[in-house]
Amino acid sequence: MAVATDASSAPMELLVSVGKNQSTKTLLRVLILCFIAAAAVASRLFSVIRFESIIHEFDPWFNFRATKYLVAHGFYDFWNWFDDRTWHPLGRVTGGTLYPGLMVTSGAIYHALRALTVPVDIRNICVLLAPAFSGLTAFAAYLLTNEMTTSSSAGLLAAAFMGITPGYISRSVAGSYDNEAIAIFLLVYTFYLWIKALKVGSVMWGALCALFYGYMVASWGGYAFITCLIPLHAFVLVCMGRFSNRLYVAYNTWYALGTLASMQIPFVGFAPVSTSEHMPALGIFGFLQLVAFLEYVRSAVPSRQFQTFLYVGLGGVFGVALLGLVGLTTGGYIAPWSGRFYSLWDTSYAKIHIPIIASVSEHQPTAWPAFFFDLNMLIWLFPAGVYMCFQKLEDEHVFVIVYALFGSYFAGVMVRLMLTLTPVVCVAAAIAASQLLDTYLVYKSPVAPEAKEEEVTDGTAKKSKQSALRSTSQPVVGIYTLISKGFIAGAMTLFLLIFVQHCTWVTSNAYSSPSVVLASRMPDGSQHIIDDYREAYQWLRQNTKEDAKIMSWWDYGYQIGGMADRPTLVDNNTWNNTHIATVGKAMSSREEVSYPIMRQHEVDYVLVVFGGLLGYSGDDINKFLWMVRIAEGIWPDEVKERDYFTPRGEYRVDSEASETMKNSLMYKMSYYNYCSLFPPGQAQDRVRGVRLPDQGPVLNTLEEAYTSENWIIRIYKVKDLDNVGRDHALAASFDRGNKKKKAGKKRGPRVLRAE
Amino acid sequence: MRWLPALLSFALPFGALAAKKSPSVDRFQEFHTKAVASSPIKLADNSYKKLTSAPRDHSVAVLLTALDARYGCQLCGEFQPEWDVLGKSWVRGDKKGESRIIFGTLDFADGRDTFLSLGLQTAPVLLLFQPTTGPHAVPAADPIRYDFTSGPQSAETVYAWIARHLPDRPHPPIYRPVNYVGWVVTIVSVLGIAGALFKLSPWILPVLQNRNVWAGLSLIGILLFTSGHMFNQIRKVPYVSGNGKGGITYFAGGFQSQFGLETQIVAFIYGLLSFAAISLAIKAPRTRDTKLQQIMVIGWGLVMVITYSFLMSIFRIKNGGYPFKLPPFM
Amino acid sequence: MKFTAIAGACLSLLSSVAADANITAPSSSKVALPSTFKPPQVFKNANLVHVVSLEKNFAKESINVLIENVSPEPQDEYFLPFTSEQMEKVGGIEVKDRKSADVVGFTVEAVEFDPLSDTQYYRIRLPAPLSPKSQQTLGISFHYLRALSPLPAAIEQADKQYLLYAFSAYCPSAYPTLKQKTEVKLPSADIPDYTTIAGSGDVKEFPVKQGSKLIYGPFPEVPAGAVSAIKVRFESTKPVTHVSHLERDIEVSHWGGNVAFEERYTLFNHGANLSAQFNRVKWAQSQYFNPQTYALKEMKIPLRVGSKDAYFTDVIGNVSTSRFRSNKREAVLELKPRYPVFGGWKYPFTIGWNADTKFFLKKSASNYLLNVPLLEGPKQAEGVEYGQVQVRVLLPEGADNVKFYTTAPESSITGHSVDLERTYLDTVGRTVLTIKARNLVDDFRDRELIVSYDYSTMAGLRKPLIIFSSMISIFVGIWAISKVDL
Repeated sequence: MAVATDASSAPMELLVSVGKNQSTKTLLRVLILCFIAAAAVASRLFSVIRFESIIHEFDPWFNFRATKYLVAHGFYDFWNWFDDRTWHPLGRVTGGTLYPGLMVTSGAIYHALRALTVPVDIRNICVLLAPAFSGLTAFAAYLLTNEMTTSSSAGLLAAAFMGITPGYISRSVAGSYDNEAIAIFLLVYTFYLWIKALKVGSVMWGALCALFYGYMVASWGGYAFITCLIPLHAFVLVCMGRFSNRLYVAYNTWYALGTLASMQIPFVGFAPVSTSEHMPALGIFGFLQLVAFLEYVRSAVPSRQFQTFLYVGLGGVFGVALLGLVGLTTGGYIAPWSGRFYSLWDTSYAKIHIPIIASVSEHQPTAWPAFFFDLNMLIWLFPAGVYMCFQKLEDEHVFVIVYALFGSYFAGVMVRLMLTLTPVVCVAAAIAASQLLDTYLVYKSPVAPEAKEEEVTDGTAKKSKQSALRSTSQPVVGIYTLISKGFIAGAMTLFLLIFVQHCTWVTSNAYSSPSVVLASRMPDGSQHIIDDYREAYQWLRQNTKEDAKIMSWWDYGYQIGGMADRPTLVDNNTWNNTHIATVGKAMSSREEVSYPIMRQHEVDYVLVVFGGLLGYSGDDINKFLWMVRIAEGIWPDEVKERDYFTPRGEYRVDSEASETMKNSLMYKMSYYNYCSLFPPGQAQDRVRGVRLPDQGPVLNTLEEAYTSENWIIRIYKVKDLDNVGRDHALAASFDRGNKKKKAGKKRGPRVLRAE
Repeated sequence: MRWLPALLSFALPFGALAAKKSPSVDRFQEFHTKAVASSPIKLADNSYKKLTSAPRDHSVAVLLTALDARYGCQLCGEFQPEWDVLGKSWVRGDKKGESRIIFGTLDFADGRDTFLSLGLQTAPVLLLFQPTTGPHAVPAADPIRYDFTSGPQSAETVYAWIARHLPDRPHPPIYRPVNYVGWVVTIVSVLGIAGALFKLSPWILPVLQNRNVWAGLSLIGILLFTSGHMFNQIRKVPYVSGNGKGGITYFAGGFQSQFGLETQIVAFIYGLLSFAAISLAIKAPRTRDTKLQQIMVIGWGLVMVITYSFLMSIFRIKNGGYPFKLPPFM
Repeated sequence: MKFTAIAGACLSLLSSVAADANITAPSSSKVALPSTFKPPQVFKNANLVHVVSLEKNFAKESINVLIENVSPEPQDEYFLPFTSEQMEKVGGIEVKDRKSADVVGFTVEAVEFDPLSDTQYYRIRLPAPLSPKSQQTLGISFHYLRALSPLPAAIEQADKQYLLYAFSAYCPSAYPTLKQKTEVKLPSADIPDYTTIAGSGDVKEFPVKQGSKLIYGPFPEVPAGAVSAIKVRFESTKPVTHVSHLERDIEVSHWGGNVAFEERYTLFNHGANLSAQFNRVKWAQSQYFNPQTYALKEMKIPLRVGSKDAYFTDVIGNVSTSRFRSNKREAVLELKPRYPVFGGWKYPFTIGWNADTKFFLKKSASNYLLNVPLLEGPKQAEGVEYGQVQVRVLLPEGADNVKFYTTAPESSITGHSVDLERTYLDTVGRTVLTIKARNLVDDFRDRELIVSYDYSTMAGLRKPLIIFSSMISIFVGIWAISKVDL
């Protein structure tokens, strides 16, 4: 980091090119930026300090596994990696269906350190990648903000905001090794480069922008946000009659190079020319050519009517192109919007058509507390900052405004897109805050002016009413009294202090638990760690055969692949709805139905998560309805959601539960043997908070193989076909009968056999 | 068309079978002719009984609904047009009645007794009666029930469901009539609006080019979105809800839920705070009069502090464990 | 080969720094003899007491024998026979003189002749040749790994575990034995089955059972190589802990003044398997009144006093169920595996800790003497056995002239080497001494490993200088670039 900022001090010397003590200013900035970066990194280390350096929840485990594969087998094997240990028996063309940016980044860092003979573990690189990049993000925010305003403090404020805002920390704490970890830095930096290219109008900056855009595409599916925002910005500029050669050069360089770069990623492939998400970019590309042509003609031909005619023609061509696009889409030549993306516009789309997307918690809409929780005071400084962008409406300010509008819309629709909103919030809020502070933190007060300026300024006010903001019609005089200065300055300082407190509190309480390891407080206040996941995964890894197929709900697929290193049927990369529905059906049907399914998929073990003993609410019984719904989507006649509710339409697990519920495999596996842990009549489910029937469910085709210490994870072995050819129900009941009869004299014959 | 049923009944072979069959045949043909006239048929209690009484050698799909505004069943209203489309297009594709299915609608107004006899509390309910005799007979005499749990259904989904239950019978495709009037209206209106805009451009353009307007609009948009308006749209949350004892609660408990009014209050607070910030940063330093400026700064400053502390106190309602607070709303 | 053996013998006789590691030593100490080899009948065992102790979960045998030279000329080679599969399992052979402790310098090597023959030999070379007709009392002790097999092989979770051990009532010897007896010490008096043989003298049937002890013999004279197979099946509801591989790294850092230990275990439980699947309910209930179980629940690892920041991890991260108690008197690392390790289950894990160099390192001029335990690791009542052990001593960069000496029986040291490894900003790489051993048991925990090496001050200063200069160059480079940029 220190090195990076040192390197960056050169361009900043260019920025601060006035004042004789500018070198000290530069030094101060570098130091402040270093401190901000350090704070950004430090505030993300809670989980490492509390628990250990461990990869967090679900997706990171896949990224981690992929990174290990990359480091072990090299880039080319990684590029065409066919993974036969997931989605059994289909397998997954992993190399072609992931965004390699993250893995390649950490792989590069790993090899660099190895070259320096620093024997650092790849796990630690993966864990600490996100915090490290958050430092860079703060720096990128600094650069972006400096493009927006002349105020020297705004950039630093933006960097500080960006560094500690929970909205960004939520996806970038140490251990959350996910694409967003580097993507947000790339997002902000690409935008910075875009603004730079637009201002300077140079091909170099445009090419740099395209380069980082390519990196972004390689890193995160969210690149579509850039792909749509930049064309939109360009379009708005043209509509405002601000077409310029700078815009032309910047946009075309970015689009041509960026599209080529993005098409290098196998997972993206030809999407940039064949899917609707990318059509705006293409359309604006063509549109700009037209406009440029017309501009040229207009400059050449000085005829009024001709111009109007041309403009009409221009509009006509644009309209025709739009119609053509629609036609192509309906004709199926251009793929319509992918489900995830489409559900952003038609918000009820996912709920009806794609239950898998709807079932993910981070695809839910955002309630207002989430905004305040993630952005605190920035959330109301943000509109103020946007308003100030209207003061002198340069091209870059237009960008901020457009970004702000769309960012806030998306963030409102999907919780996870809070992430894309956060940068612009930080920038805008920083602009507002810095203007406040700059106004109220100047010591010398202006002298009260004479009255004769009045009508002059009125005149200017009248003139400027049309174009500029009404509020800025008067000239600035400044603040007179120290009281008002002190008051506002004090208030702002107080708010900023609260903001820092808030960020630390949120980070440490909400975003720092690696959902793999759970922490609970003992009565004496000491921390007790509940490590059931790893206990069970380690058991699987050590005591089952290398290629034992594990069936579990898709949430745990990546963890099983990463920690237990066993093949799974489905995982968090939910590319095959039918396969997931198959698992859902197996889980939600009766044993007689499920057993053939499991045999067909060569399932050896079934893993369920059960929180009943501990009161761990994120367990499979609570997710069960989604399994049912997803299965129902494929087999509407065999699985029906309503059958899992009581006649009164309640979702119950106790003795009132519906028959279908009680006979479903998931229910049986969750509560098998559970009541024998309690004295009779005391069996209780602490999540649902209900008393369970004394007679627990009976399993015939599965046998309990392992149950973790707190019962969070239960693993069942799928019985082989009965070797006498009976069906399992018979065999099981026969065994049970036997056990009761000759439990006592079992040892006798054994000893005889010993001789 | 009138003579068709008679002819068919004559054409039928005589004998014991025919004797038992003929009434139901008449039944089907009679209803089918009605259906050809207008499908789905509007049923009443007796016609419903007549149509669905076993033994029957034809299928019946009856939608039991409550269209009357009194019952406030908006799902019924939403589904009705789809149902009509389905019934019409089916009969349209199958005039001879080879698929031997009748589409009927029984409104609560006409079929009160039926609803009671079926013990239905909710509407709409779609019942499919399978034939008990004849080639397509199924053992279970009682109807299959289609539930509208997952929201309003389109004709296609119901069509697929029915088609699933009528194997090896013709399934005439769904045919939606093109709404020419709609097209014409839209095109004309679009052209009209375009023309009007062109005429009014000298008055409109200044508005379009006015920064204040745009600034206002974008601020409103941002405030709406950041105060959870989309959440209301998607989750269809209530505007307010009553607390147990007559009064109303403005703020929903819990982090993941909110009321319509709540979001508006929050949006207002945000707006107030940002406006305070704006006027402190832009307006105040531009006011020339010292006194006025003093008052302005202090006033807006107080507004900012107080509103922010109020916002925090609201947030403490939503999130119990939130430790931070500001005076005066401790 | 013979030469090194003798050299080793003499050096260890001097008990000073031995086995110069710079010359590559043999992969294991073996003497090659013609394939038609038979031990010359030059001795007879006047009296022999054979003690088979099975208290721990490996078989520990000690033979106290009074040998007599029956040949005309002095002899110094006494041969000890093993069957070929015993050869794989036997380890830690040690010989001493029962009469006087100051007679040292017995050397033991495996005899290499006909690999197909079922009888293999270890040769014991007496420190001084035994003159004709004279006698000497040898105390020979060794142990067999993987010697006890559970029977029945699969039992219920709460059942008792029974182990089976097969041996010979007559102590296997290459020489005629006039008088001998065999004692079998067992962990408990619950001995359901044991082979009985016809007695001799006033006892009509062997064995004589005294509590948890079985005594076969005394027997009259038996010829060389006489065998009478005995099987004992006894109750021992304890885990049969077997570490198939142990990698132990000892990294000495002079700058940090720190010795870092790391041990990687591949641990199995060779006890009886579960006949039914693991049942958590029964397990949880049984934990209240904690009974004898054959599942490995916990391991205690006593470390040297002053050890600090210990850790216990496995392949998916830190294992939170470990405790480390360290104070002035003791430093104990208590490990609980993530799951109870039942028979047939596996649990690989890694532990590590740091300690101050002052406990281990002595300096004289530019020569250093490092004295560390060859083997630490769990100290269990039921004992732990190690199949393959690899001890790596990472000396600081630039250390050379490495010699080592260990008090462990050298018949179990199978090889050693010295090479370089580059870590932590090394330029030439640091010297690594690797010692391989096989078939060890936790009785050898206290055996020490002494490494001597030379390390000059210049070598010590190498790294800081290199790092300093490289940083300087980086900054200069950046400065230059920024100047160019302007």
